[in-house]
Amino acid sequence: MTTTDLGAATSGRAPRARGRGGRGSSTESGRLIGWLFLLPTLTFYGLFVIWPLISTIQYSFFDWDGYGTATPVGLSNYVRVLTDPQLISSVGHSFFLMIFFTIIPVLLGLVIAALIQEIRLKGLATTSRTLLFLPQIIPGAAAAIAWVWMLSSTGAVNQFLSAIGLESLTRAWLGDFTWALPSVGLIGLWLSLGFCTILLMSGIGKIDVSIYEAAQLDGAGFFQTFRAVTLPGLRQEIGVCVTMTMIAALASFDVVFMSTRGGPGTSTMVPGVQIYQLAFTESRVGLASALAIVLTVLIVAVIGPMQRLFQEK
Amino acid sequence: MRTTRITRLGLGLIAGALALTACAPGPSNGGDDATTGGDTAGVEPSTEIGSDPIELVLYDGAGLKTIDDQLIAAFIAKYPNVSITTRFDPDNVQAQNAPRILSAGDPPDIARVTPGATVSADLLTNLDAWAELYGWTDLPVGQLANYTVNDEGVRGSGSQFSLASGFVTTGLYVNTDKMAELGIDAPPTTVEEWSEQMATAKAAGEVPMILGNATGQAVFPLQYLLNGHLGQQAINDWVFNVPGATIATPEGDEAVKTMAGWVEAGYFNDDANGTEPPNALARFVAGEGLFFPSGNWDAKSIGDQMSGVTFVSPPALNAGELKAQSNPVSNFAIPAKAKAENKNAAAAFLNFMLSDEARQIAVDNGFAPSGSGTPPNTEAGSLNEAVQTAFAALVEADGQVQFMQDATAGIKATEDAAIQNLFGGRLAPEEFLPQVQAAYEEELGR
Repeated sequence: MTTTDLGAATSGRAPRARGRGGRGSSTESGRLIGWLFLLPTLTFYGLFVIWPLISTIQYSFFDWDGYGTATPVGLSNYVRVLTDPQLISSVGHSFFLMIFFTIIPVLLGLVIAALIQEIRLKGLATTSRTLLFLPQIIPGAAAAIAWVWMLSSTGAVNQFLSAIGLESLTRAWLGDFTWALPSVGLIGLWLSLGFCTILLMSGIGKIDVSIYEAAQLDGAGFFQTFRAVTLPGLRQEIGVCVTMTMIAALASFDVVFMSTRGGPGTSTMVPGVQIYQLAFTESRVGLASALAIVLTVLIVAVIGPMQRLFQEK
Repeated sequence: MRTTRITRLGLGLIAGALALTACAPGPSNGGDDATTGGDTAGVEPSTEIGSDPIELVLYDGAGLKTIDDQLIAAFIAKYPNVSITTRFDPDNVQAQNAPRILSAGDPPDIARVTPGATVSADLLTNLDAWAELYGWTDLPVGQLANYTVNDEGVRGSGSQFSLASGFVTTGLYVNTDKMAELGIDAPPTTVEEWSEQMATAKAAGEVPMILGNATGQAVFPLQYLLNGHLGQQAINDWVFNVPGATIATPEGDEAVKTMAGWVEAGYFNDDANGTEPPNALARFVAGEGLFFPSGNWDAKSIGDQMSGVTFVSPPALNAGELKAQSNPVSNFAIPAKAKAENKNAAAAFLNFMLSDEARQIAVDNGFAPSGSGTPPNTEAGSLNEAVQTAFAALVEADGQVQFMQDATAGIKATEDAAIQNLFGGRLAPEEFLPQVQAAYEEELGR
């Protein structure tokens, strides 16, 4: 169709002059050129994504310290990953972190985005958008350090609690067996919230204003508009938010590593930190690789069904 | 359609993975074959280095550039025909890189290594002949333990392969102003006194001992106790991975029980698990805590910021039996593959570490000196003087013990988690050492 149109418009130009006979081979050479364009990307993708992935799979079948001779151990690294209670509990922790990395930021982000949408006309939107997005431009590791100070026994969080008369609640949050994991989650929440809000706001911006007007004319209030117009219109954006933040929770490393390194005890240990520790501190590259592969499979297994759920009908 | 594609992809991946297991990662066979060093091939050991120009290369961790440069300058002043260039790796990767640097075609002449632990003795020159010539065999046992590896590759005994440029040492920083306020005459010399003084401090509403256990600092004072209960030999054997070595004994449990008792009695800051060591140091300097368990590396920072402070070796279980964790700053060895004609000069450099000049340089840089004898000069009344006095007494008592965190690459993670659990009341004292021992044996494949 397009070819014909183009042909009609530019009749007499070279491609057409070649005649029908050349049609098949020109498609083929076009395909070749297409691949040629892809080559640089494919090279880098292969070198820095596919190859490390394959290497990791390979390492996971060996007992290897990273430089000496490797001994094949079959599936025993995987057996270990799937039976060691400490490794399993680290996976459990990252699922718990999803509450803070995913559920709360998405719900809260929806409310905030809808509210900002409401106040858009009043001119506060830009300021609030900037403030909300600010955590997103700070590296997780740096944010974690700032939060370590705030959550320490003499930090801002405890000072605030004392100031409002809740002295009894103060504690060294990151050193408390019960509160360390939720505290780490709080840092993640602070990081994810801006991302979700901005994404959802841009989604709201895409929804036809006339639908909002129609809803208004029909006498719908904030919550009714939110439920009947905003929410359905944001299906895809919510999908992206959920996907990204779930991966962030399951593959979390920087925030935990910089704030608690998995402590106290192993109460905040997550697979990301565990993998780092096994591979680079304990020189157990095989076991670390097996855990990394299990984590990857787990993330795909969790995220995969989500994609279907959020797909446009 | 979708499912079949995924199935096909999965099958492909599995097939690929199976194919991959056919070839092992790491160096190809034979790549790890080092020349069987361990001897003095190609060189007649001597204390004479002649007068021909000699160019040596020294390899170390980047953080030690200052002390190394000073040591080199002092050495060259004595041996003008020698010139030494330096090669550094970042401190956090130096130990891991050392085996590769040593097995490469053009290794340095002097290299920082941990013989037997990170570097197989095959890659190093056996120094026994020089040890004989220079009299290194008379060094304190606690120091020699760091330098020796036996035929089975176990550290702590056997032939000598290295010599340290200086030592780190551990003990207690004591707030002397607070001590006076509490009516305590002198810092504790025994565990009993230590415990009593902490009880006194606690009764007066003070924090007896402040530490940052977020990174397992409490393992230090715990080992002070274990040093006494288990003894130097048992802990060194354990750290050197001597077959059958164990710390999970009833004697060891006694030490952990003492520690757990102190936790229960509230002798530590109650936010210890949530405090980083630098923050604990800052609070100690600001006047919180009677004791701060740490090592010489904090002396400068503490001495610069507070005046009423001193340093003592860890209180002994039995009076007079001083013991403390103390390790080489740089454990210098001569690579087996180093140029044979350079080895006598390299050995002379190692021997130079025991000279008064080198010992003074170590002390000036905040470390404890290699060898034994009168402590080098320090500013009278300074904290460094207290550190050096404590270290000299420790060497005199031959009480240098290995750091338990050095036993295996991964043991620190286990120890840190266990001590945090102990502080949090989540681990019974008698479970502590068996847990650490189990992780140790698992990592060593025993």
